[in-house]
Parts: sequence; C-alpha cells; structure tokens
Amino acid sequence: MATRRRIVTEAKLLLIGIPVTIWTLLPIYHLFLFSISSKDEAFAGKLWPDHPTLRNFSIVFHEQHYFLNHFWRQFGNSLVIACAVGVLTLAIAAFAAFAISRLRTRGGRFILNCALFTYFIPAAFLAVPMYKAMGGYGLLNTQWALILAMVTIAAPYAIWVLKQASDKLPYELDEAARIDGASPLQLFRLVYLPLMAPSLVAVGTYALLLAWNEYLYAFLLLSRDEDITLPVALGHFLSADDSPWELLMTTGLIYALPPAAIYYAFKRYMVAGLTSGAVKS
Amino acid sequence: MASVSFNGVEKAFGATKVIHGISFDIRDGEFMVLVGPSGCGKSTLLRMLAGLEEITSGTIAIDGRIVNDVDSKDRDIAMVFQSYALYPHMSVRDNMGFSLRLRRADKREIETRVARAAQILNLEPYLDRYPRELSGGQRQRVAMGRAIVRDPKVFLFDEPLSNLDAKLRVQMRSEIKALHQRLRTTTVYVTHDQIEAMTMADRIVVMHDGVIEQIGTPLELYDHPDNLFVAQFIGSPAMNVVQGTLRRTNGTAHVLTPDGIQWPVASSGAADGQPVTYGVRPDHLELAGSGERGVPGEIVVVEPTGSETELVVKVGAAQLVVEAHGRATLRPGDKVTFAVNPANVHLFDQKSGQRLTA
Repeated sequence: MATRRRIVTEAKLLLIGIPVTIWTLLPIYHLFLFSISSKDEAFAGKLWPDHPTLRNFSIVFHEQHYFLNHFWRQFGNSLVIACAVGVLTLAIAAFAAFAISRLRTRGGRFILNCALFTYFIPAAFLAVPMYKAMGGYGLLNTQWALILAMVTIAAPYAIWVLKQASDKLPYELDEAARIDGASPLQLFRLVYLPLMAPSLVAVGTYALLLAWNEYLYAFLLLSRDEDITLPVALGHFLSADDSPWELLMTTGLIYALPPAAIYYAFKRYMVAGLTSGAVKS
Repeated sequence: MASVSFNGVEKAFGATKVIHGISFDIRDGEFMVLVGPSGCGKSTLLRMLAGLEEITSGTIAIDGRIVNDVDSKDRDIAMVFQSYALYPHMSVRDNMGFSLRLRRADKREIETRVARAAQILNLEPYLDRYPRELSGGQRQRVAMGRAIVRDPKVFLFDEPLSNLDAKLRVQMRSEIKALHQRLRTTTVYVTHDQIEAMTMADRIVVMHDGVIEQIGTPLELYDHPDNLFVAQFIGSPAMNVVQGTLRRTNGTAHVLTPDGIQWPVASSGAADGQPVTYGVRPDHLELAGSGERGVPGEIVVVEPTGSETELVVKVGAAQLVVEAHGRATLRPGDKVTFAVNPANVHLFDQKSGQRLTA
C-alpha cells in the first residue's frame, strides 16, 4: 500500500513537473536551436537542424555583421556598467545599513522609510526626469549616466534588505567589539562585513543583474553605438526589415550566459548559518 | 588592578528613571557581586561602568579617574556577556587575540598572551576551532579568555552563567572564583541568583527598584539583613515571615500573631503594641521533643534532599519552611513543636520594612 501511495504521489509531481520544465526550457531550446542553424534552416520548424553549425558564433565573435560591428565593445560596456552598479550599490547600501542598524544613527528610520517610499514610484515614471537630470549634469552618453541611474534604482531595496539582515546580528557583538577597542570603522570592516557576507553577495548580485538586464534606461541615456549596452544593441536588430534572427538569437544566448554563471558561482555563498555559535539561541 | 567608585549615579530612559542615585566603592582586587531581581537596574549599572550606557547624572570613577566621558575602549575594562558574544567568523585564537590585534600589539606578544590565557582556562586543544564547534561551557571559557588576555583593570561579568545548565553552572562558578583568586583583578559580577552571589562574592550589593538595599559580605547580609527585602532575597529556602504585634509582659517579649500564636523574641527596640514583621530562617527553626515548650505546628509536606530534609509546616494560619538536619522520620499530618532561639529572630517594621534593632 505504502509503495503504491508513493508511486501515485510521484506520478502527480511528475505530471506537474514535466509541463513546467518544458514550459521553462522550450524558449531556451528555441534560442539554442536558432543559434546553431543557418538562416535558411532556422525557420524550417525542425527539432534539430539537418546541418548544425557554429558559424553564427563565429560571425558574432568576429563582429562580421552590420548589427554586430561593436559586439565586444557593447559586451564590455554591459559588463563594466553591471559590475560598477553592483559594487557601488553594495558600498552605499552596506554603509547605510550599518549606520542605521548598528550605529543607530539619528534619523535612520526616516531615511529607511524614504527608501521604501521610492518603491511606490515605478522606474518608468522616473525615466524622463532622470534623462533631464543627467542632461543637466552633462552625463548623457557616458557610462556614468546609466551607472548612477541604476544605482539610484537598486540602492533603496538593497538598503532595506541589508538593514533587515543587519538587525539579525546580535548587538552584543558590537558591544563586545567596542569594549575590545574597535572603532566604528574597525567594527564595520572586521566584524560587520564578514558576518554580512552572504547577504552582501545576494544584494550585490541583485544589483549587478538588474543593471545587466536593464533596457529602458540604457536605451534612453546612451545613444552612440560605441556606448550602448548589449540589450539595446539586441533591440537594434529589430529595426531592419529583414532581421537576422539567427544572429539575434546567438547574441541573446551569449548575453544570457554571464547571469547564469554568476548565479552558479555565488550559489554557495548564499547560505545562511554563518552567525551560528555567536550567541546562545 | 583598580578601585571603582560610583557617586550619586542616576539613569533615566526618557522620562523613566531606573537608577536613583547610587553611591558605593569597590576596593582594588575585590570580587563585588551586584544582585537583585530582574529590572532592579543591576545590569544597567554594569553597562554604565562599561561605557555601553550613558550616565544621566553622577560620576563613575575607575582608579580615581572619572570615566563618564571616556569611551569603552579607553576605560581598560573587559566584559563577559551573558550571550558570550563571540565573533562567529573567528577561531578561538582570533577571538581571544582580537583586542590585542586592535591595539596593534606585536604578533608574538599576542601569541604568548593567548597561549597563557588558553593554558589557564584549559582551552589549548580548541584554539583553532570556531565558536559554533564548541559546547556552552567552552564558549563561556573563551569569553573569559578574551577578557583575561587583555589584563584589564576591571573585569565585568553580566550574568555569565545564566545560559548554562545547572551542573555546568556550579562548575563554572568555582572556575571563575579560582580565576579571581589567581589573578586578583577587581571584578564586578552581575547576577539575579543569590546563591551565585553568596558563594562567589567578597562583598554583595543588593539592589531593588534602582536603589541599593544593602552592601555587605555574604554572611553579614545573611545574619543581619537591614530590611525585609534583603532578608527574603538572601538565603535559600527564603526566610519565613509572619505578621504580628509586639507584646511585652514583665520583662519578656513576644510577637503575637492574629491566630493567637506567641513567637519568642529577645529584648527588642520595638515598643509594646507595635505592628512588626517577624522573620526566622528555615535552618533556625529546630524541632523540639514532645512536651517541650515552643511553637506548635503540623507537617504538610516532607521533602528529603539527602543531607537535609525540608519540611513545610502549618503553624496557625501561616505555612513555614523548616530545614531539619539529617533524615526526618516525620510524615504529613504529624504534630510537631519548634524551639525558636530568640537570638536568631529578625524583627522588621511592618510599614517601612526596616530592621528593628535590638
């Protein structure tokens, strides 16, 4: 009986699991299929091309197409901007959360509430004001424009998350460190940051991927072909009457790889439990 | 090593005053215990000494220097927290050496001092472990080790044993005491457990509602409590008390309770007819043979602990605890008589709770 019940349960799970898996993987498979097909074969509707080829990748990597003239430059732009946004957001949010949660700075709660309030305003609403502001600062068409805009969007949430995580660290640790002779900066560097590492990695990854995936702001703030990021460049493919779909898909596949790699690399840092043993729980 | 003095220290959180002008001195090398029920302000007082709480008014001095405006790190104190507060990302070695590292001490110096502390506390096999890999008692010892590598002027302990189980608590109690006897560093120790206070202290400060009730050696507090609060707080089982009126008849005195029982007292400063609280400790009530004069009672509960037997006895309207040495052959329902030595009786004013002097 017991075995039979188990089989029924597993069958049910499979019945849900298989469609969900197919649903998720089909577009990715589609992407992959296009990237290894020649232009003629791409639309043939086959599950596997008759003559799979890596030519598309070669074209992308050697920038041998009108839309791909600046592929590496644009890939680099995306990378630099995403990393800068990750690092800056992390620095701002870590200092803010430390000051609000651990140093208990006066007015901290107010700042935190303001940060939360910004979430009532959709990012798209701010696109035009942001464009005007960046124009005012003379930053349009520079990477700083996009970096600052993305940090502005990512920071409030990052501060909020880090503040919540900071509150979970036992306050006695700070007191012990103060008595041991730590200045606030030493406390931050030697006690706070190491204990916050899992949350910092999670928040940094969030900001980095937010910037990596951003289209609207990148499209607005950057316009020269040499300055734009990869998602905007991908958008340009669609402006032609006869879009090179197989190259669009190939570039898209390459574009999707770094986030996957980042998730995989940082997965193990995102485990909790680093604070176990600090205080009696 | 250093002396510590509190002078008119007050603490208020907003409009709520929690410490009402406390003054006392701790001598160089003394083991001073602050004891009292939770909320009495003992931890707040310790945290003010540590520099973790602002002092609302009054002064605290360490070794003659007023430290009100001195940072914790410059007070040359070390503190052991109830929760241990070990740095979870550092090994035992790094936890113990952290304060020296912050002071930019020489690497070899740190190594030597950590090794010495580890040896004193039997922590040598655990130096490379992390706090999460240690038992409660070992973590407690690391917390103490972190304090002693500093060789500070004053050790502060904030309920350090509350998180340990009963057996370990007794063991750590004697370890802390032995450590103090070895290092002779001035120590301020906060606890709510009067047994810890009695067994460890050179002197005890009994606190209640933000004021000091009494300061004295453990036995002074036990034998001559200044007031009813101290009388009932110190000693286990707690002192028996009954309410009555003092009566004097031709040279002898007794306390008469409303249920008509006469309790013997020595000559007392109290006036005839004065309402008093009559107190006697469980170990000062002695079972008398039948027919002897004394206070009559009836056994309610018999609790043998091995070496002693605790009896709960109904006397008139009151229930008293009696500590009988050895093993009693009594059963519930037995009628007994006690002899009360008037010299061991404590009388307190019913209104103020203050001790009435003989």
